Amino acid sequence: MDWKGYTVIYVVLFAFATAQAVVEFAGLVDSAYWAAFALIMVLSVIKAVGVAAYYQHLRWEPRAVTYLVLGGTVAALALTGAAAYSIL
Amino acid sequence: MSQEHEHGLPPKSSVSRWFLTTNHKDIGVLYLITALFFLVFGGVLALLFRLELISSGADLLGSMGYNQAVSTHGLLMVFWFISPFAFGFANYIVPLQIGADDLAFPRLNALSYWLYLFSGILMGVSFFQGTTFAGGWTMYAPLNTPAYIPGEGLGATSVVLALIMFTAAVTLGSVNFLTTMYRMRAEGLRMRDIPIFSLSINLTVWMMLFAFAALLAALMILASDHILGTTYFQYSIDGTTMATDADNPGASLLWAHLFWFFGHPEVYIVFFPALGVMAECFQTFTGRRLVGRKWFIISMVLVALQSFVVWMHHMFLTGINLPIKTIFMATTIGISLPFDLMVFSLIYTMAKGRVRFTTPFLFSLGALILFIIGGITGVFLGAIVLDYQFRGTYWVVAHFHYVMVAGATALFGGLYYWYPKITGKMYNETLGKIQFGVYFLGFNLLYFPMFIAWETPRRVFVYPDGLQIWHSMATAGGFILGASFLIMFYNLFMSLWRGEDVGPNPWEYATSAEWAVSSPPPLENFPGVPSYATGKLEFLDDETVTERTERAPGAAAHGHAATDGGTATDGGAVTARAAATATAMEPAHETAGEEHASHASFWPFLVSLGGFIAFLGLSGVRTGSVFYLSLAAVGGVATFGSLVGMTREPFHAPEMAIAERWPFERVEKMKLGMWTFLASDIVLFGAFIGSYAFVRVAYGWTAWHHDLIPAEHVTMPGLINTYLLLTSSFLVVLAMVAAERESKRGTVAALVGTFALGVGFLINKGLEWQHLFHISTEAFPNGWGLSTNIASSTFYLTTGLHGAHVTIGLIICAYMTIRAWNGAYQGDDRAIEYFGLYWHFVDIVWLFLFPLFYIL
Repeated sequence: MDWKGYTVIYVVLFAFATAQAVVEFAGLVDSAYWAAFALIMVLSVIKAVGVAAYYQHLRWEPRAVTYLVLGGTVAALALTGAAAYSIL
Repeated sequence: MSQEHEHGLPPKSSVSRWFLTTNHKDIGVLYLITALFFLVFGGVLALLFRLELISSGADLLGSMGYNQAVSTHGLLMVFWFISPFAFGFANYIVPLQIGADDLAFPRLNALSYWLYLFSGILMGVSFFQGTTFAGGWTMYAPLNTPAYIPGEGLGATSVVLALIMFTAAVTLGSVNFLTTMYRMRAEGLRMRDIPIFSLSINLTVWMMLFAFAALLAALMILASDHILGTTYFQYSIDGTTMATDADNPGASLLWAHLFWFFGHPEVYIVFFPALGVMAECFQTFTGRRLVGRKWFIISMVLVALQSFVVWMHHMFLTGINLPIKTIFMATTIGISLPFDLMVFSLIYTMAKGRVRFTTPFLFSLGALILFIIGGITGVFLGAIVLDYQFRGTYWVVAHFHYVMVAGATALFGGLYYWYPKITGKMYNETLGKIQFGVYFLGFNLLYFPMFIAWETPRRVFVYPDGLQIWHSMATAGGFILGASFLIMFYNLFMSLWRGEDVGPNPWEYATSAEWAVSSPPPLENFPGVPSYATGKLEFLDDETVTERTERAPGAAAHGHAATDGGTATDGGAVTARAAATATAMEPAHETAGEEHASHASFWPFLVSLGGFIAFLGLSGVRTGSVFYLSLAAVGGVATFGSLVGMTREPFHAPEMAIAERWPFERVEKMKLGMWTFLASDIVLFGAFIGSYAFVRVAYGWTAWHHDLIPAEHVTMPGLINTYLLLTSSFLVVLAMVAAERESKRGTVAALVGTFALGVGFLINKGLEWQHLFHISTEAFPNGWGLSTNIASSTFYLTTGLHGAHVTIGLIICAYMTIRAWNGAYQGDDRAIEYFGLYWHFVDIVWLFLFPLFYIL
């Protein structure tokens, strides 16, 4: 990828970060907490995938590297999800 | 062998060699000897408390002495003996079995060992700091916090720090082994074809990579509670007042979740290498390939995966809800099924072959019998209703010793099995068999009575009088078991001088590649580049390697090999097509002899020594003692200086010119190492974020923000830091682009920009923290510090860990900037890319910390 492609990704990431803050500044966190929660976390996931895919070049690596990363992610999510569920 | 022939390494008779060496075989021997030392250490402690248990009551060691002995015994055996013992073999044998000349990162391998050794020394030193940790090897909260530890509790803090050091060693080792096994297999050697011991190690390190990251998170949080005063595992509200239901209702459950998420895979981390040894010995001493080998492997893979979804069966008696208990009961019963298949495979192999009752086989068979008993008695504990009765009793003690020590039993078999390979001498077979008899008798006399006396409360030195006979039998068994090791040590020590010399393969049917080279093997293992391309093990000379590399660059894989217990690769019928004069592991453009792999570095030892001093200092900094503060400072400087020295040291560890690398063919070893490390780091941060989510759920997710966080904690500092990190990530990729274009000015400018933005991030964070520390409001009159409440603890510690990652990144960035200024990286951006992988990961973590800690 050349510098133009990297710049486009950067602009998108910057805009999404701003959008997350705007969600709060607009009062959505107070008025509709769980909708705001979902929106903000989805934006974070999109940003993270963008950084991993383009800045860390996962898109161009063998799929096995993505599976390696997903392995760690799934383990962390399993711990978090199951532990939190256990006390609901 | 002379120093000249050992590529800079002094001879084995020289003490300095053992401080300098990075060679996998030397490191393997160091692991084995050190682990056996910790076996004796933990074993003597066990004999002490078995003496105590001859009668009910703490009349010999005293109550605190008993608690320390029991806790330290458990920690030493689980962490400092069994796994390191297995990894002694892994270090020595795996590269030989897969056709590599060493591990992928030899200095990291040495660093792993020295960190392990010094972590054990720190554990030992903790006895001299008043008292060592006495809250049981599971270290449950809140007993693991200073508030519940008698005295200053510095020894307990040292134990926590020692475990952190140990975990660091394990993580480095996991990265190293995975990179090695996916980048350095001999040509034609598919993953499924590697010998079963190496395969068991492969699955073990996968589990270690993720499980130990969760333990590291737990330990770092605990260390923070000890040293910095955070309140994750404490119920303390206002100093002296304890409350169990107000500020942090999830405290004790949080520890249990983090610990057992690690702890259950740990059972298989301990047992898998033993399973590998058993399979090797069964094949060799029955002369029969493992029956159902493919299904045996599939079963191991299943267990490795399932091991991460059974941890809550250790928590059936806690307050977790019934649906989750039921789910975990089902997963626990499920994990026993693949084990059944493996057990039947071993039994059927024995039935189909012709058994030779050598010492290694006897230990392997003994391990299988013990494991079957341990496994069956464990199923009782997996059922919720039975666990209500058995939990916290000697049934558990007996069960897990039958499992864990069954693993150790197989590993002792492994010691006899590979002793001729490692030493070039044969042990005394008669003494070996006598040891097995005494060992097996002692073991069962020690642990079986515990099933009968199961009503004895675990970790308690008082028991009903009617159970005394069983405890006396167990104590006698313990001493018989201990005596068996005197026979083993005598046998193995004396055999070094009196043992018969052995050739490459003293076992008739041993067929894996380590038996194809001399005993002990030469420094760089093979007389050429190993290849299974024709279906048989061959050693290629430089000319052939160059030819093949030019014909199909980066390609491998032609034939398929059966590397253990099969007929395709009989170690005794190796076709040494050519004996190259040197390793021939260099890239094809380098001819053998011009540039050899490095094998010596003093820096891993120095880094670990510095770490030891720093951690010892950290254990006492909360007392304000000048002595401990000085130790922490000196150790910190020594560690940093040694790391810089290690970075600057020229050290050559070449990639193999041809190798089997599925599924990471296009991922250079440094990059694969970095990705593997990052996968572990994902779990580390995931466990931190998961801890935050857990205690917040326990408190009440939405009430958290209103009750525990001051209004002064606003979004803007987080948003600014998000902008700073995103921009710095952008500059790192621009540095790569500039380096590709050979623009030195562009590369330096982008790296300087990255550095400046990272520093800006830390300054902004520092200002924010200072502000929060010193706010004075009605709700938080004394500021919002680390100890104010659970929300402040999670905020400062999680973002602090992230800040530490940023700091490490900045140090690397500064180093790379200087190198770029001096002309490095032009036309080769790989180093910047590898740094970028780390830096972008730090960026990604912040992308989640920002909303969780600043918006939601």
